[in-house]
Amino acid sequence: MRISRVQISNFRNFANLDVALGDHAVIVGENKVGKSNFLYALRLILDPSLPDTARKLREEDFWDGLARPLTSGDRVVISVDIADFESDDNQLAILAEHLIQAEPMVARLTYTWQPVAGLTTNPNKESDYEFIIYGGDRPENRINYEVRGRLPLELLPALRDCEAEMARWTRSPLRPILEKAAGMVDRDTLQTLAKGVDAATENLANIDEIKGVAGSITKKLTEMVGSAQALETALRFSPSDPDKLLRALRLFIDGGKRGLSEASLGSANILYFALKALEYDRLVADGDRDHTFLAIEEPEAHIHPSLQRLIFRNYLRPRLPVDNGTQGKSSTTLMTTHSPHIASVTPLRQIVILRTNTENKATEAASTAALDLTADEIADLERYIDVNRGELFLARGAILVEGDAERYIVPVLAKKQGYDLDELGISVCSISGTNFVPYAKLIGPTGLRIPFAVLTDLDPGAARNDGAVAPQRGLDRVAAILRAVGIEPPDGNDSDRLREAAEQNGIFLNNHTLEIGLFRPGLHGAFIQVMSEIGESEPMKQRMRDWGLNPASLDSARFLADIESVGKGRFAQRLATIVSHGECGSACPYYIRKGVEHVVGECQHR
Amino acid sequence: MSLANASTAKPRYMHAAEDLRANSEQWSVYESGGNCVVLAGPGSGKTKTLTIKMARMLAEDVRPPRGIACITYNNQCARELRKRLSQLGAYEGRRAFIGTLHSFCLQSIVMPYAPLAGLSAANPVKVASTTEIKELQEKALKKLTDDERWGPRFDNYRRTHLNRTHPSWKHGDEQAAKVIETYEALLAEEGLIDFDSMVLTGLQLVREHAWVRKALKARFPILVIDEYQDLGRALHEIVTHLCFPEGMQLLAVGDPDQSIYGFTGAEPSLLRELAQRPDVAKIELKLNYRCGSEIIHASEAALGEERDFESASDEPGEISFHERPDGLDDQAKFICTELIPKALARRKGRKIGDIAVLYLDKNDGDAMAAAAATARFQFIRVDGNNPYQPSPVTYWLEDCAAWCVGGWRTGAVSLSDLVRRWLAFNSSPQSDHQRRNMRVALVRFLRDNRVPEAPLRDWLGKMLDGFLQTCLDRETGLRDDAEKVAKLLNAVSVDGALQRYTVAIFGGQKGSPDQLNLSTLHSAKGLEYDIVILPGLEEGRIPYYNDDDRAIREKRRLFYVGLTRARHEVHLLYSGWYENQYGRRFKDGPSRFVEDVQRRLGGGASGPSDKNLPGSPAHLKRDGAVQQVKITHK
Repeated sequence: MRISRVQISNFRNFANLDVALGDHAVIVGENKVGKSNFLYALRLILDPSLPDTARKLREEDFWDGLARPLTSGDRVVISVDIADFESDDNQLAILAEHLIQAEPMVARLTYTWQPVAGLTTNPNKESDYEFIIYGGDRPENRINYEVRGRLPLELLPALRDCEAEMARWTRSPLRPILEKAAGMVDRDTLQTLAKGVDAATENLANIDEIKGVAGSITKKLTEMVGSAQALETALRFSPSDPDKLLRALRLFIDGGKRGLSEASLGSANILYFALKALEYDRLVADGDRDHTFLAIEEPEAHIHPSLQRLIFRNYLRPRLPVDNGTQGKSSTTLMTTHSPHIASVTPLRQIVILRTNTENKATEAASTAALDLTADEIADLERYIDVNRGELFLARGAILVEGDAERYIVPVLAKKQGYDLDELGISVCSISGTNFVPYAKLIGPTGLRIPFAVLTDLDPGAARNDGAVAPQRGLDRVAAILRAVGIEPPDGNDSDRLREAAEQNGIFLNNHTLEIGLFRPGLHGAFIQVMSEIGESEPMKQRMRDWGLNPASLDSARFLADIESVGKGRFAQRLATIVSHGECGSACPYYIRKGVEHVVGECQHR
Repeated sequence: MSLANASTAKPRYMHAAEDLRANSEQWSVYESGGNCVVLAGPGSGKTKTLTIKMARMLAEDVRPPRGIACITYNNQCARELRKRLSQLGAYEGRRAFIGTLHSFCLQSIVMPYAPLAGLSAANPVKVASTTEIKELQEKALKKLTDDERWGPRFDNYRRTHLNRTHPSWKHGDEQAAKVIETYEALLAEEGLIDFDSMVLTGLQLVREHAWVRKALKARFPILVIDEYQDLGRALHEIVTHLCFPEGMQLLAVGDPDQSIYGFTGAEPSLLRELAQRPDVAKIELKLNYRCGSEIIHASEAALGEERDFESASDEPGEISFHERPDGLDDQAKFICTELIPKALARRKGRKIGDIAVLYLDKNDGDAMAAAAATARFQFIRVDGNNPYQPSPVTYWLEDCAAWCVGGWRTGAVSLSDLVRRWLAFNSSPQSDHQRRNMRVALVRFLRDNRVPEAPLRDWLGKMLDGFLQTCLDRETGLRDDAEKVAKLLNAVSVDGALQRYTVAIFGGQKGSPDQLNLSTLHSAKGLEYDIVILPGLEEGRIPYYNDDDRAIREKRRLFYVGLTRARHEVHLLYSGWYENQYGRRFKDGPSRFVEDVQRRLGGGASGPSDKNLPGSPAHLKRDGAVQQVKITHK
């Protein structure tokens, strides 16, 4: 069972959110974007521990963008679609009356906060509103506690103290597991064991030195409060009552060497999740509920970034094809985070991004759940995101480039044009090659809807002379990227029309390789300077100086080979520093300027 | 018992089950697993066995969130089952669906699934009223023919030719098929649904869509059906689709011998067929706790088949024959002036409510009602000439009245049940606030109108004006009920047939010890009385003069149902002649069924008679004066 889609209208940050979800969801977004409100919206439908008084909203719970005073047409509507339950008879029994689609089955549960029926004026006080929760898009088909009780959403709020919760018997997730086990232990065995523990404790307490300690405590107490009030203290490690014996069991880590208090916060967290998962499995196995939606708020609190990656790397990932992740089948995890470290190790399909629409200030969502990607593409993307620490997910815009050289140069050139990409939240992402298609699918208009540009070369790679080679590969690549973002490229061999379509969709072609593209429009000075600093031989430095004086004499192959010999990346790094210091002018190749402008424009447009 | 003990003690149904242990047949129903058909003779403790078994299945076999669907013959049966289950501590709201076939199809199949299957379903569902149905039927007929009236021919065709895509639909009775299709198109045009279309659409969804079957099976892994023999072919097909390929577990209870609703498409053979399946266990309940041995003896003769039923009663019971040569009115007068007073005198503590007069049709009912009124008996009448017809709302009104009359003090009627049913009538989306107001309006009305002696018209008028009329006008599911309530209001008006009705009479009718029961044989289904009086048993009327073999067999079962309602006494009355609606007399003697019984009890040959054969008992004189024959076996 999983939540396959969430729709939220007019609630808090959300004007009209509509997002598809995968098996689990990791909800990423900046502070204040509404991650907790997203979970709260689900709680209104699914959390049995939320009292009905909390299901009554207030005026300020309506989306800010709605004109005040509110009118009778304004209502908050929140719905979840649930899928993949039909193979489980219990889950189907709960949801069978709430279907909105038959094959495969999808059920919908909806919460509405609306003016009471028959209200003739505009609503102006709380009693003018009511909430209803119904299934299957049939408002008369009310759903009640039963559904929430059988398919509950449980919230683990941020900044909880896992260690303290596990230590407190009544709240510990260990309790139900131990109590169930205790119920199956033979009474006589327990009695015998309790006696044994009792005897061992007795022996320990009877060691003279230990006895002395207990005696001195009792003596001190008597001095302080008088003998009538004194507590009789004893040193033991377990109560002698067999019923309490099992409760006294504590969890140890590292093979029993260390107690929980010595565990790192991260380990305590993950242990807590593991115990919760066990509890959910047991509840389903015992027939007390049919599924749990576990909502975890910002689990990263107090956990070091590297530990975050370590802990969550496998948390939501299926280990074996048959296994639905370490979570087991009995629960679905919905986790909010603003940690790129957690996002960077999350299975790709489970990413949900919340961000603010700059026009109406409403929060909108995009997800990866429904992307049309092959297994190989997913693996490539996940690796890329892992290595780059999830920067893509938090970017407001992205400029996809082929290699590290562009990654150094583009931000500097942009700044010269007056665009501070860091400030704008636009990342320049090197994909180390030319396979832009999966990236375009991921962040393009059918995916995460992050404004982006692709800067790619026409690839005259094998050419001796520019323009002499048929620029077929670059154009094919452009057509493929266009298709990936849902645009059918123009027919035929009309490369101008293709370029036009590409530019409209943020794909910009460099007619040469990067360095030539940079050299030509006027950065000769910078090139000469870089080469004089890091060039490997005097002839090489001299060649660069000569070309600088007479750009028309440039021998592309030689030029590129020289740069290659010091390392393209290193060369670009130096070049970027020099350009940024403004010592050598600010000429910018056309395609880079256009690409930057495109992304900046799109970002402002949102 | 302390509170703590109560929670740890055995569930109530387990105690109740101990009562079944002594009866090995009932016990084997209780212990059954898998598909099971229970053939339950009259008075065999069927309902008791069924409810205890259901309580067990809810507690032991089906875990939440899954449940049991139980289909009953009518709303009254459903309420009875619900009441008994809650007495057994087992009724659990949504987990157990208990209701009629119509409501099961509508609520659990048509409403959730018809839109998903691409069938247009009006939302909210608008249930056609009786008047609308009649109008549309006439309209449909007029379009095709002038000399035909809507009758059983069409209803029956619609209820038995269930697969519209099969050639037999078009070619079986071409005209009927056309008329029905026209009628259904008219219904759809008006956005209306009638009771048959609820069932037909339900069947269509179950037959055509595996996912519908799967969803139903998930919700209800067990399907219980009471009175299977009267539920018709559509139900039989629904059961076949859900239980056999899909694997829903079946518990069907019924008695083919009591199948008397042939005109609705019911056939006794369907239950027999089910019981013969290799994947179904058949259990017969043969011990009759109701009827004396003599009555059982007589009823087997009436049925014309030996059933080996045994009586658990200490009294043998009596069958009496009364020839009243002066016709039906004379029979009615004789019943009220002789039979009833004597029967009351015969046993101390016997009340008139222990007596029922069961007859063939509403015209008999008119004659009986007139005689009973002359004799100044209070009576409750159930037949087509009733001044008002029962519906869920009129039943609820009766219970509201019963609460006002004294139920509030005795607890016999629960206020929470009245409120729950009232809120259920208001099924269109309402705000919590509105629902609270409705609840308050009802409770306030009931509290302020506990006036047993007030004329019913005042009480009812007040309720209609206060809140009921608004509900009837608004709820599209109650359009037929609204018509029936209007009829009731009309009947209790100052010049109506029930002008003398007080709240007390209205609320005290059901099972009242002080009211004589007048009912058609059909409506006596499932009931029992100390004394049953059957008037009008003339050859030509029962069986009807032009009944075919199949119809004759059904009439035999109808007569059998009448006989087996009695615990102690059965009185059979006849004149040997009858008049048809045009006043023409037919002298064909008493019903052949009566003669069969006489022959059996007189020690003659068993088995059904050919009426023209000699062998009528000598003590039966057709032309004599009052002749009372009393035969009591040892």
